[in-house]
Amino acid sequence: MAKTSVWSDNRFWQRSAAWITGFAAVLLIWLTFDTAGQISMGTDADLQNKVTKRVPGPTVINYKITYEMSTKRGHEVPVIGEKEKFFGRDDWSEEEAGALLHLGKLGSQTKNCMNCHTLLGNGAYYAPDLTKAWLDPAWQNDGTMQAMTGKSTKEEAMAEFLQHPSTYPTHARMMPDLGITAEEAKGLVAFLKHMSSIDTNGFPRNFGKIQGAVNGK
Amino acid sequence: MFEPFTDIVPSFFGWLNQGPLTLTIFLHTVIILPMIWIYKQEKARLEKES
Repeated sequence: MAKTSVWSDNRFWQRSAAWITGFAAVLLIWLTFDTAGQISMGTDADLQNKVTKRVPGPTVINYKITYEMSTKRGHEVPVIGEKEKFFGRDDWSEEEAGALLHLGKLGSQTKNCMNCHTLLGNGAYYAPDLTKAWLDPAWQNDGTMQAMTGKSTKEEAMAEFLQHPSTYPTHARMMPDLGITAEEAKGLVAFLKHMSSIDTNGFPRNFGKIQGAVNGK
Repeated sequence: MFEPFTDIVPSFFGWLNQGPLTLTIFLHTVIILPMIWIYKQEKARLEKES
């Protein structure tokens, strides 16, 4: 029997490559459908029935959102709590909330927020990560931003800051005035609030603990 | 070695992401083992042809 080396045989490598490529193709198709299912947005009914979705419906802006450490999962997770007023209302309908979010999302794209900020892992790290910006302590009732902007709620302070960022110097890297209108600002804040309710498996990591990346200064 | 599965949506990929051991088992199943199998097949074929 002649000595044969399979390792130097072309057919062996061809068959191996075909096998691995074929499996990878199947895997990618599977992954696509698996992801599509997981990132599909929930509905108002889900929120009322306390059904946990990775991406809750737009009416999540009617609720208080907190970020709590889950010992089971080993990172912080968004928790949707009781009703909370958003621009004076906690009865935004699915259509109204959806339209507001849409305006905010389009606004974030037109103003190119990702040029400096990170949204859900995409974008730059020049300016603070906006993925959980709504939950940033600086915007809370005892935070600095409400006092600086002279507003009494988180959403109003955020909207005011977005419209006149140059008036409220916050960081060494100051946000430019992008000419954001009052309505656009409202949409952007809704978009930020909704985004903070998305379960991102703990991204950004150690939110609220890193000084500089998220909480300024 | 095996951590409890804690992802919000149970899925194959969530399971796959839990740690290095699951990844190793997975990659061996889809790459290494088929290559051993193909290797043996090809070797048998080459020996038969020679």
